[in-house]
Amino acid sequence: MMIASGQARYDGTRAPMADLLLLLAYGFGFWLTLGLAAYWGGRGFYSVWFPAAGLRLALLWHAGPRLTPAIAAVEIVVNLIMGRFNPGSPDLAMTLWGILRPVLAYGGVVAVIRWLASGRRAGVLAPPMPFSLAAVAAPGIAAFSALPEALLRPDRTAVESVQDIMISLTAFAVGDLLGVLIIAPPFLWLAETISQRRNGMIAALRECVIRGSATLEVGLLLAGGIATTWLLNRIGLGSQPMPLILAVAWIGLRFGRFPVWAALTIVSLLILPETAGAFSTIDRLHLHLDLATVVVVGYLAGSYCDAQKQARTDIERRDRLLFQAERLKTLRSMSVAVIHEISQPLSTLAIEAKHLHEITDGADNEIMRSAALVDRKAATLSNLVRRLRRFGGAAVDEPSALPVSALIESVAAIATPEARDHGASLKIGPINPDLVVFAQEVELSQALMNLLRNAIHAANDGQVQLTGEKQGKSVRIMVTNRVGTSHHAKAGMGVGALVAQAIVEAHGGHLEKAKIQDGIASASIILPLAGDDI
Amino acid sequence: MNAKEPKVYVVDDDADLGATVARLLCRHGFSAQSFLDPVRLLDIYAPAPAACIVTDVMMDDLDGFGFADRVRVTDPAVAIIFMTAWPTTANAVDSVRRHGGIDYLEKPLDEARLLAAVSEGVDWSVRKRQQLARTATLSPREREVFDLLVQGHSNKVIAAMLELSPKTVEDHRASIISKTGANGLAQLIALASLD
Repeated sequence: MMIASGQARYDGTRAPMADLLLLLAYGFGFWLTLGLAAYWGGRGFYSVWFPAAGLRLALLWHAGPRLTPAIAAVEIVVNLIMGRFNPGSPDLAMTLWGILRPVLAYGGVVAVIRWLASGRRAGVLAPPMPFSLAAVAAPGIAAFSALPEALLRPDRTAVESVQDIMISLTAFAVGDLLGVLIIAPPFLWLAETISQRRNGMIAALRECVIRGSATLEVGLLLAGGIATTWLLNRIGLGSQPMPLILAVAWIGLRFGRFPVWAALTIVSLLILPETAGAFSTIDRLHLHLDLATVVVVGYLAGSYCDAQKQARTDIERRDRLLFQAERLKTLRSMSVAVIHEISQPLSTLAIEAKHLHEITDGADNEIMRSAALVDRKAATLSNLVRRLRRFGGAAVDEPSALPVSALIESVAAIATPEARDHGASLKIGPINPDLVVFAQEVELSQALMNLLRNAIHAANDGQVQLTGEKQGKSVRIMVTNRVGTSHHAKAGMGVGALVAQAIVEAHGGHLEKAKIQDGIASASIILPLAGDDI
Repeated sequence: MNAKEPKVYVVDDDADLGATVARLLCRHGFSAQSFLDPVRLLDIYAPAPAACIVTDVMMDDLDGFGFADRVRVTDPAVAIIFMTAWPTTANAVDSVRRHGGIDYLEKPLDEARLLAAVSEGVDWSVRKRQQLARTATLSPREREVFDLLVQGHSNKVIAAMLELSPKTVEDHRASIISKTGANGLAQLIALASLD
């Protein structure tokens, strides 16, 4: 998902220099948009269109809520440079609090929504829901947080009556909402593109350009909506948002967020200049509320369309997995047949090779070495065929006492060729041979194999480590690998990890999913130890 | 073929594998002979019984389990070892519980396990033949008394169960001890436990 994936890629290891550059760019952008907002300013508030809010949310969403204090500092500096407050003023504390408050509100909302959209709660807040929620909640919470100050210190905001306070706060919320929905998405798409994420802005634009008919449809719908609104206004019905709402809803539902964002930007660029100048605050707010209605409807429609597209993509990927599963079933049948055919001659070869090896002991050195090599290769091949049969067998083996070292050794033997194909190497840590678990070997091998496969695919330096150690009455089998700062989930449904989790839980253990700490990702299988090892 | 060497038959529809296993066994002190067709072996088995038979499970006309059932009718003292390229848990259990197998080996064969299983089978067969020989001369009534004795019943209980006098049971018991060469109840139980 375009915007929401931004939260997944943040790993807490961003370089300080990158943060500094982002904050510098933000300072410049904040200065520019704050000046721009002054054109639509009103009594007691900056503006009813506040693009700086969009920049703020985009940066917080992209880099994470940890940048909240730094963003607050930047905003204070910019306000100071622009002469918006006097450092020597007796009200300095209140002024600074007035600057800090919305930043803290935005940072808090982003932190809460990121938390809600992480871990097991992620299923409830599927993309693009988290960003949409933040885009709506942050302006509302920020405006609401200004209420105590507006009530206690009306002199500071230059509003006197309750009506004025409500108008002021509504304008605050609407201005931020418009700023967020118009400004934040393109910056996040841009960040996606720079990070070479899928569905980036350029990709979306390319898709739009390629689909000329779609672009024509968007243009006609938007032109129709604008023309109808203008016509209604000309015949004396005032500014009616309904034709534009219908147009952007249609565009959003048909084509998703990017086209609707483009349409909303055009609408905003047409309407906002009209609201600057000699407008009364009420009329200006009225127009902005109409515009906000159009923008929210359009954005929701676009989000719904994108969610539908994502759902369809997920279903298609799931279907492909099902096809793959069917192919694997066929492959299994074929491999079982091949194993059977190989087993007969291989038995003969292995026995004869061993005999040859024995009788050539003491013979010519070349003959002896050749015989030993043939014997060893036949034995290796026999072991491979037995291992293949155990994995290909339909029947589930009975649980038995299984040394962890044997499990790790057998899984490593299976995983090593796959690791080699991906340019990775597998390191096995020292494992106490006395650690024993009660398990179904094939199932547990499959679980461990799935974790190893994920690690092999994710390891950016090609190093994957497999260790096993005692932890109280349990054993921890851990797969670790290093990931880069730009780590993000690779293509896949996470089925491997889910299967591993189900297997491990069926064995009375649990799976600790990948944690990224100092660039190291790890996944651990924790299983109860069997017998005397406890 | 040395008459003192334990006789082992190998049955497999893969002639090369059968011959290889037979040669392997010969090298380890057994008198082994391979057969391609289990029916052919059944035809010649009665006059030349073996201590052990190593047989494939999946064969053309007669599978390994069917062959084991038929050969056991002829010779209850032959040890049977199954080998297969299609191992399943169900067949592994059946091979021992229903068809009296000593072991169930998967192909490619583990040589050490094959040799260990054949040695164990031959030992079992020798003991089984001795037991059969020692109990073969028992009369039907003595056989009944023998079966109840090894189950731990006293002379009185056996007499009541078979509607005999305790004195008659005592006589049968003395005769059983004499014919089998056992020197007490413990040895009789050991003799019976080989079943």
